[in-house]
Amino acid sequence: MTMNRRHFLKGLLSVSCVALGSTSVLKPLTAMAGTLSEPKEDWLVTGSHWGAFRINRKNGVIDKVLPFDTDKYPSDMINGIRGLVYNNSRARYPMVRLDYLLKGWDSDTTKRGDFRFVRVTWDQALELFIDALNTVQTQYGPSGLHAGQTGWRAVGQMHSCTSHMQRAVAMHGNFIKKVGDYSTGAGQVIMPYVLGSTEVYAQGTSWSLILEHTDTIVLWSNDPYKNLQVGWNTETHESYFYLAELKKKVKEGKIKVISIDPVVSKTQNYLENVEHQYVNPQTDVPLMLGIAHEMVKQGWHDADFIQGYSLGFDEFLKYLQGQSDGVEKTPEWASKICGISPERIRELAKVMTTGRVQMMMGWCVQRQQHGEQPYWMAAVLATMIGQIGLPGGGISYGHHYSGIGIPASGAAMPGAFPRNLDEGVKPIFDNNDFKGYSSVIPVARWIDSILEPGKVIDANGNKVTLPDIKMMVFSGCNPWNHHQNRNRMKEAYHKLKCVVTIDTNWNAGSRFSDIVLPACTTLERNDLDIYGAYANRGILAMHKMVEPLYESLSDFEIFTRFARKLGKEKEYTRGMNELQWLEYLYNGCKQANNGQFDMPDFASFWKAGYYDFGPGKPWVRHQAFREDPEINPLGTPSGLIEIYSRKIASYNYDDCPGHPTWMEKVERSHGGPGSKKHPIWLQSCHPDKRLHSQMCESDEFRATYTVKDREPCYLNAKDAKKRGIKNGDIVRVFNDRGQLLAGAVISSNFPEGVIRIQEGAWYSPVGKDGAKAGGWEIGALDSYGDPNTLTLDIGTSKLAQACSAYTCLVDYEKYTGKVPEVSGFSGPIEVSV
Amino acid sequence: MKWLINLWRTLNRPARYLTLGTISISAFIMGVVFWGGFNTALEATNTEQFCISCHTMKDTPYKELQETVHWSNRSGVRATCPDCHVPHNWTQKMGVKVAAAKDIYGEIFGVIDTPEKYEKKRLEMASRVWKQFDKTNSQTCKNCHDYKSMNWDKMSPLAVKQMKQAAEKDQSCIDCHKGIAHHLPDMGTSRAPELIAQVGHGVSPVDGQEYYSALTKELFEGPTGDKDAGLLNIATEVKVLETQGDRVKISIEGWRKRIGAGRVIYKDFGVNILTAQLTKEAAKHEGTIRVFEDKQDPMTGLTWQRVEVDIWTNKNYLLQNPDMLWSYAKDTYNTACSVCHTQPAPAHFDANTWPGMFQGMLAFVNMDQDTTALVQKYLQEHSSTFDKSGHH
Repeated sequence: MTMNRRHFLKGLLSVSCVALGSTSVLKPLTAMAGTLSEPKEDWLVTGSHWGAFRINRKNGVIDKVLPFDTDKYPSDMINGIRGLVYNNSRARYPMVRLDYLLKGWDSDTTKRGDFRFVRVTWDQALELFIDALNTVQTQYGPSGLHAGQTGWRAVGQMHSCTSHMQRAVAMHGNFIKKVGDYSTGAGQVIMPYVLGSTEVYAQGTSWSLILEHTDTIVLWSNDPYKNLQVGWNTETHESYFYLAELKKKVKEGKIKVISIDPVVSKTQNYLENVEHQYVNPQTDVPLMLGIAHEMVKQGWHDADFIQGYSLGFDEFLKYLQGQSDGVEKTPEWASKICGISPERIRELAKVMTTGRVQMMMGWCVQRQQHGEQPYWMAAVLATMIGQIGLPGGGISYGHHYSGIGIPASGAAMPGAFPRNLDEGVKPIFDNNDFKGYSSVIPVARWIDSILEPGKVIDANGNKVTLPDIKMMVFSGCNPWNHHQNRNRMKEAYHKLKCVVTIDTNWNAGSRFSDIVLPACTTLERNDLDIYGAYANRGILAMHKMVEPLYESLSDFEIFTRFARKLGKEKEYTRGMNELQWLEYLYNGCKQANNGQFDMPDFASFWKAGYYDFGPGKPWVRHQAFREDPEINPLGTPSGLIEIYSRKIASYNYDDCPGHPTWMEKVERSHGGPGSKKHPIWLQSCHPDKRLHSQMCESDEFRATYTVKDREPCYLNAKDAKKRGIKNGDIVRVFNDRGQLLAGAVISSNFPEGVIRIQEGAWYSPVGKDGAKAGGWEIGALDSYGDPNTLTLDIGTSKLAQACSAYTCLVDYEKYTGKVPEVSGFSGPIEVSV
Repeated sequence: MKWLINLWRTLNRPARYLTLGTISISAFIMGVVFWGGFNTALEATNTEQFCISCHTMKDTPYKELQETVHWSNRSGVRATCPDCHVPHNWTQKMGVKVAAAKDIYGEIFGVIDTPEKYEKKRLEMASRVWKQFDKTNSQTCKNCHDYKSMNWDKMSPLAVKQMKQAAEKDQSCIDCHKGIAHHLPDMGTSRAPELIAQVGHGVSPVDGQEYYSALTKELFEGPTGDKDAGLLNIATEVKVLETQGDRVKISIEGWRKRIGAGRVIYKDFGVNILTAQLTKEAAKHEGTIRVFEDKQDPMTGLTWQRVEVDIWTNKNYLLQNPDMLWSYAKDTYNTACSVCHTQPAPAHFDANTWPGMFQGMLAFVNMDQDTTALVQKYLQEHSSTFDKSGHH
């Protein structure tokens, strides 16, 4: 823990402070672990985003973690579970940023990120939190407070942290909220106009029917084998059974799989014998247009289906054939942009109109500028193929997510601790005057909002007036992972008066906060969870394994204390404790399933740890629509598939016209804009060894994949050679927005001009001198390798205003400077006043 | 006819051996003996011991009772079978007793002597009991639980809201508290029980008045017969034209798209709020649909037609106003759709965007079909298409 003492003292003015260094690491934890909780039997049950487990304890410490009885395909992230509890980044005590503690609301905010924190008591921390809320409500009103930025939390229906935070803060006053999310921001906005539902979060055709009926699966920028390891609720991993079956069928030549992707995916490597179709990054739309052009030219498209089930094909045809813009979208035209030969594009058009074809879209292609377009255009292709609503045909946008494609059991799932205020409960500051600002903003536009309050932007047919945000509250959500462009975020954070974070650990989100409240992990509290987010396979008990470590508390306990200070404890808890809530939630579920499933009483369930609803029945997406589009219309304005949307056209957006359109990006590799200066496309996909930034803190597990302590950066061999880089070197990746260090892994999976750094790598900035305390500097070097240090912070378009992380060019070099220690995994620099 | 006349004469003839006094006194004594005996016997049947002397009672409902707060609580007050099931009022008590004769038959002939058979009959039996509670306005509950004595301060705000509404109407407790002492039957066929418990089964409609459907209702071509004519959507306004037996003829106003058979009726021009879906036959049937003007929707290019539909439906589940439906839909939406994220305000999207957003998230929530249809309609009818109030 090196610390620049001179720099440190300079920032302290006249106050005398003593640096204590961060508290010690693994060893003392054993001694500090609390007493065992009931029941005492070994191998208790719990759930997580990564699956369900049985866990045993030795001397009051979590010992072994084994896959749950029913999980036949556990993820190797099971090896990171123990490290979620015992790691160097744990948030141990309530802490306050030094300058905030000294000066409060008017602290020096430019030094946020210097990591200097003072330990305080829970009472002090909660009082400071409430003081800040009082100030923001009094001075600015609800438009000054944003407590709506929520993310992936930890599983558990009772302790889901964002619900606790929002219910409690809402008892104090109103605040700004978000709409949409970072994962599927463009997809979930465009698809209701086109196919009448978000599609990205809709149940998909069952895998068993795909295995039975499909001739060709087209994986478009989709890596299910990597992404199905995690789920929104406790993941069952049943999808892997079907992937194993698919692998057999591919080997036997019964099903053909084409993977259209700039890189060779983990899925492709697993399935083997997959036809890989490289495409230049961000050029999926020209490729699709070229395919569509060939289908029309050859008459391979299904004119009857288009006629009976869609609107606007003729309008689109004018664009496809060049009448509307003078450019015919021939395979030759497409070839020049997407890097695939015209012959191969013609061949793809043939393959995709032969036999039963299931298109499976991943989410990455919609996380780029104009990310709405590839999703819309893919739906147009599927409409032209004409198999939407047939078993094993059509298109899906979620077969890589949370077990979509496993049939649902039909059981009712348990409810959750309420996010909203109960009927009749009023906040202390009962003020709904947002002063003309919008009270809800597109999720990825909050930094814009802080930087340019009052600016009016277009979003999904509406005008949004960006609010003047002065204070933010985060819980179980790391904005310093999911948002783009770290240095721009730092500038915005200068304008925030107070940031409060409730988290289990000192990720960068905690680091850039003023008040940090330590929450315990899922293994330190009792809860219950849905087993299988879409499969609804069962209900899982989440037994407390150990008492909360250090001074961490459950989210329920944190906000019960908070509510008590507001004089609203009973309104918050409804007079029930943790176990009473669990029993209440369980009994609600039992009653809802009465007559369908004979669930045991709560005590028996809790002891057994699991209740199984059994498998569901196979199901076909859009089948009802295909059978009778009049009675079962889609949720589009017309009820039909909208190839041309008059509604979108009526918005007159230059970056999202009335039909799918190819538009050049502000940055694009392989000959596109900006590629002379920064020739490499940075792919920041969902990680293989984490859930976003969750589990990056698991030290021993992280060590299994890091390179010289850095996040791996996957490189093409030719590119690396050109730059004199060998496997295992530390590389500096940079553009005009930022710079980071990462560890080189040369891999044949990656083509020239492409690198991959997976998102979720903890931002670990260091000062010019390499010191942890210098991380506040604009332009600071990220010592670990968070790709969002480099990404572009613009909306996808005026329609979705979603994040565009995949529109990002960089360059990289062998790092020859003094290698700084990684600053992100050792908690704050503790000082005392 | 002759035997009747003979009988009359016999009865009419004065007694030959006994005095009128003897007859009167012995009749009185016998009356007392029988009445007393009857009452004693009747009282004996009003004990828990009697109730659970049958196996089926002991093994199932009695066991279920023991899991509830009515059996075991910190105050040591226990409600036994007759406390809830036998009213104090004599007429009501006799009604219950007569009905209970069926149970004895069932016990003797083994109608419900296995758990499977019991479960099969549970809904039928429960419905009978609920009807009894309906008739007595849940008087046996109210013997102990008095609306007037409830301490609102000791209830959660949610409970206060619900209870005060109930107290104002002196609502029957069983309306909402079904399954409080025994397991609920499989309600698979009796739809949306929680919704119906809140909004009720509807009123007796009066011709010429407007009503709202409390459930998705079946439509018929005539006042009798089972000829299916389609479905009326939940929370839909209709005008009752005439009543015949259990059916009413209703008039539905709306618009349809000129696609397919034109058998789907929407609330208004260009607005995809479902009103009714007719069968193909019903849509073609002369006089069922009256067609008025055409208009083209600029947002889709589709032509719409204003229509009126006259059609029959059962007269149950018609409400005088939709407020309770919207209140139930709002609570359901706010609870179910905030588990993972903050639920968007209904006015955040317009009426034609909501179906896409709502259907795209349905996989995450538990709602039966009626509730799904109701919540979607609630969102659409409170969307930015109708609510122009301010920033969202």
